[in-house]
Amino acid sequence: MINSFPSVKRRRQTNQAPGPKEEVRANVKNFELQKNDKYYAWLFLGPSFLVLGIFVFYPMLRTLYLSLFLTDSFGRPTVFVGLQNYLNLLTSKVYMASIQATGVYVIGVTAFTIICGLLLAAVANQKIRGIEFFRTIFTATMGVSVSVSAIFWLFMFNPSIGVLNQIALFLHLPTVNWLTNPHWAMVSVITTSVWMHLGFTFLIFFGALQSVPKTLYDAADVSGASSRYQFFHITLPMISPTFFFVAVITMISSFKSFGLIDLMTAGGPTNATNLLVYRIYKDAFVDGNYAVASTESIVLAIIIAIITFIQFKLLAKRVNY
Amino acid sequence: MTKLISIFKPHWRWGLGLLALLAIIGGFAYGNQAHAESKRIKVVFWHEMKGPGQKQIDAYVKAFNKKQSKYEVVAEFEGGYNGVIQKIMNTHGTAASPALFQSMDISTSQMYHSGFTTPVQKFVDRDHYDLDQLVPGARAIYSRNGKLLSMPFNSSQTALYYNKAVLKKYGITPPPVDPTYSDITRVAKQIHDKSHGQVKGMTMEAYSWLFEQLVANAGVPLANHNNGHTGDATKVDFTSPAAIKAMQWVKENIDYGDFINFGSGGNASANEAASFLSGHLGIFMQSSAKTGQLYKVLKNNLGVTYFPRPDGKKANGIAVGGASLWISNDKPAAVQNGAWEFSKFLVNAKNQATWQAKTGYLAVNKHAKDEPLLKQLFKKSPVLEVSGNQMLRTTPNDTNSGIFIDGLVPARTSIQNAMQQIFAGQDIYKSLKAAENSYNKVLESNNRANGRG
Amino acid sequence: MGIELKEITKTYGQDAAPVLSTVNAEIQDGELFVIVGPSGCGKSTLLRMIAGIIPITSGTLTINDQVMNGVPPKDRNLSMVFQSYALYPFLSVTDNVAFGLKARKMAPAEITRRVQDALAMVSLTDFADRKPRELSGGQRQRVALARAIASDSKICLMDEPLSNLDAQLRVKMRSEIRELQRKLGLTLIYVTHDQTEAMTMADHVMVLNDQHVQQIDTPLDIYNHPANHFVAQFFGTPQINLFAATIAGDEASERITIDDTLHVQLNQPLAAGRYTVGIRPNQMALKPATTGGNANVLNVETLGEQTIIEVTMDSGQEVRIVQAGQVQIKINQRVTVSALGPAFVFDDQQTLIAEQGGVSDDQLVSVG
Repeated sequence: MINSFPSVKRRRQTNQAPGPKEEVRANVKNFELQKNDKYYAWLFLGPSFLVLGIFVFYPMLRTLYLSLFLTDSFGRPTVFVGLQNYLNLLTSKVYMASIQATGVYVIGVTAFTIICGLLLAAVANQKIRGIEFFRTIFTATMGVSVSVSAIFWLFMFNPSIGVLNQIALFLHLPTVNWLTNPHWAMVSVITTSVWMHLGFTFLIFFGALQSVPKTLYDAADVSGASSRYQFFHITLPMISPTFFFVAVITMISSFKSFGLIDLMTAGGPTNATNLLVYRIYKDAFVDGNYAVASTESIVLAIIIAIITFIQFKLLAKRVNY
Repeated sequence: MTKLISIFKPHWRWGLGLLALLAIIGGFAYGNQAHAESKRIKVVFWHEMKGPGQKQIDAYVKAFNKKQSKYEVVAEFEGGYNGVIQKIMNTHGTAASPALFQSMDISTSQMYHSGFTTPVQKFVDRDHYDLDQLVPGARAIYSRNGKLLSMPFNSSQTALYYNKAVLKKYGITPPPVDPTYSDITRVAKQIHDKSHGQVKGMTMEAYSWLFEQLVANAGVPLANHNNGHTGDATKVDFTSPAAIKAMQWVKENIDYGDFINFGSGGNASANEAASFLSGHLGIFMQSSAKTGQLYKVLKNNLGVTYFPRPDGKKANGIAVGGASLWISNDKPAAVQNGAWEFSKFLVNAKNQATWQAKTGYLAVNKHAKDEPLLKQLFKKSPVLEVSGNQMLRTTPNDTNSGIFIDGLVPARTSIQNAMQQIFAGQDIYKSLKAAENSYNKVLESNNRANGRG
Repeated sequence: MGIELKEITKTYGQDAAPVLSTVNAEIQDGELFVIVGPSGCGKSTLLRMIAGIIPITSGTLTINDQVMNGVPPKDRNLSMVFQSYALYPFLSVTDNVAFGLKARKMAPAEITRRVQDALAMVSLTDFADRKPRELSGGQRQRVALARAIASDSKICLMDEPLSNLDAQLRVKMRSEIRELQRKLGLTLIYVTHDQTEAMTMADHVMVLNDQHVQQIDTPLDIYNHPANHFVAQFFGTPQINLFAATIAGDEASERITIDDTLHVQLNQPLAAGRYTVGIRPNQMALKPATTGGNANVLNVETLGEQTIIEVTMDSGQEVRIVQAGQVQIKINQRVTVSALGPAFVFDDQQTLIAEQGGVSDDQLVSVG
């Protein structure tokens, strides 16, 4: 078994050496890693390097490697093509449409989630009789899994017997092909996604609103600010760190939307909701084209890195106080 | 640190003792199990059947294991068709791979090229097994150069369903059993007109299989080298006059307003079935495997016809879909023999009769329909026989025996994309051409990656 | 003119006990009016009602003869400084000060002028661009003051503005606020729990306890004529000594007895009975006793210019005595304690009924 650390022991001993000068020198000397320390350093870091290596670095490098090849029916890289896969991808109209769809989806989901979540939180933050009940209701979607909400919304969106079109018929409005019309399909999946994100977002915003000191509003009341002015000039800036957090979390989460898309539209109709992540899945595990999927993964990783960088550069500046 | 260790010190002997005890117990349990199995040759069978299919397979496995004492078949459910291909690729040559596995129709070429399987023809020739008892169309898609690669198993074809109650209500003459495009259009339009739009005439899921079969029924190939049967396909043709005509037929109904679009994928087929069963939709096309479920609800109000054909043309017949049974070549001969024996057992007339009765898949054994079980069933409910007849009357040729290409899934994806575009009102030729071009690129790179073409 | 509180009562919920009951007061224009009391006495509630942040349950508030009960805070033309300063952490000092002015859509030039003036007045001009988190506690306090100044309203409310500062800074800010108030001619209502602040700053003090006003007076009058036990105890450090005392027999007497060795001579007779006598620590004397004596020294606190001695009387009562200068005395030393003369007498309702001496002559000093 490990028998304490010899070098640490020695350090303690040198500390007892007489005279302050010597003591200082002894400490400095011991500050450098000794042979034994290095051994322990590797011993402790080794497992995490190993785990990271196997589960993070190797797959990353393998993905990069695969993206430079053509893969055969069994996923084996056979023909080296250099950057051809990237060229094909970036000149593909369908892929560009996918990027665009992802952009619309991510921005749509993030924007509406934030707006709706903040709105609900602002309502729930009021002192109204029975508001506790609504606070509970608003958080309810947190407990609903992707599959359940997808099925729930699928029922609503059913073109002939769904609730939405039944209501439309009742009101003599034209019915909508919620999931089969390319434009409406995007609206539908965004709606569902926003609905799913809402519980969590509401809770976070509600917590943030509650933590804004009441005296700030009192002071504003006295100094003559209307409640609208207070919302935009006190509430929003005060919760801006939360705002940033929610924006980043929702963006990342909607970038990764997979289950929802798979269950609701499977990327259709006409690729209208074929988001980048879903596309990778389809190319790899349905079509069996690992090279293309790997290329798409690398491109997506780059896109996400760029967006994250921009977010931190732009938003971090504004939320600091 | 030393302190922490010393806390455990008094207990570590106990822990070690406990571990040893567990190991001994475990060893006994394992030993017993191994002992019991060692008498029989274990044959692991991977399948992807859910619901009634899974129940029926378990029943066959039980019966087979009881019937003989040489082999012990172990059935394992492996999830979806797509996943199992990857699993086979990844486990081949290891102890984890199965002796026998079920794989879907469009994976035939890939399995053939993998070299992971022993062609069934080898056992057929050795045992002088009578292949004539199997439906020709079912054999055709799992054959290469006249040799059977795998044992046809769960089989289905595309069928057209209509709701007789709806037709009766509005006094519409039902379509003939072997309808043309315009037969269906007539009925669909009449449903729409006479119900004043309350009931939709027809739908077609944006499902490539349906498109492929419309083209097959017209007797036109979708890929060169006779759909890949006489050589490696290097080009596909989604814009043949037959393909265009099939889509024009749909378009006519879309333009008339009697067509409803349910889109693509699992939800689409669930939605269209729900609409059909609730009387909101008159006609739709799906796998014949749905017949049983629909019949359960509609009883004799369910109408079934053969898959539609172009006007003025005799039906060429359509391919048999579904999946077949493959024997892995990484197992010893004795195990492979067990797999072969079990395959034969599954497709005998009696078992195929129960298979069709219980699951709705079409029996691949010609003699199954002479079994009392199916005879009675067909007498009572003639609609259940329609799709089987469609399969039996088909003379297989290169245009109605599937497409022999590795990785057909992307082709289906692009065709489905084109169908959705067409359903959304875009130009037929342009949409299909785009799909054709996009898949030709995939095909070219696939062939290059696989050292073909 | 000024601010007038009439029968102001505050109740939360219909059946709940009031947190403030029938408060009456008049606050003159330009005076510094301190509301003082222990925590939970309702002093902040009262201030918030004046500000309009919380509604008044009953009673009338008038400012310059206008009833203000239903008027929203922003229309009461007053400013307020909070204990937590209520600074906006995301705004610079300048923007914090300008916040209310911008909200009122004042002309930018006017805002700039006012903000600059206000910052100059609290000597924060050099810190105009800093964020609150980059300031010390005292500087934040000044920002809050500047914000009140910039609003240019003649009434300012302050809710324990100094309680988050350290002792030295508090002393400094006390005089600064006082100075500012005079310079700007503000009517300042100042809430605190600190009697020293009340004593040193106020023109008038309102003592609040137990939801009720105990006394409203000038600081010295409160010190010299405390209306009751509470007020007597609340003002003056160390705290006043309260003794149970009697006038024995049946007849009225001028001599009131605390115990055998300690009595107070009043200048007019009181009826026989039980009373409480209050004697401030500086009105008691002690001398070391070689024999006899009536108390033991318990504790000695030497402050330099004075010495606080705690003794235990033989009756068991603890007494605080302040002596000028640096007294050398040992703990457990036997001493004789006596009263110098000035004392307050309270009845069994704890209300002041008689004073002996009040301010002794040697404490009244006239300057000039």
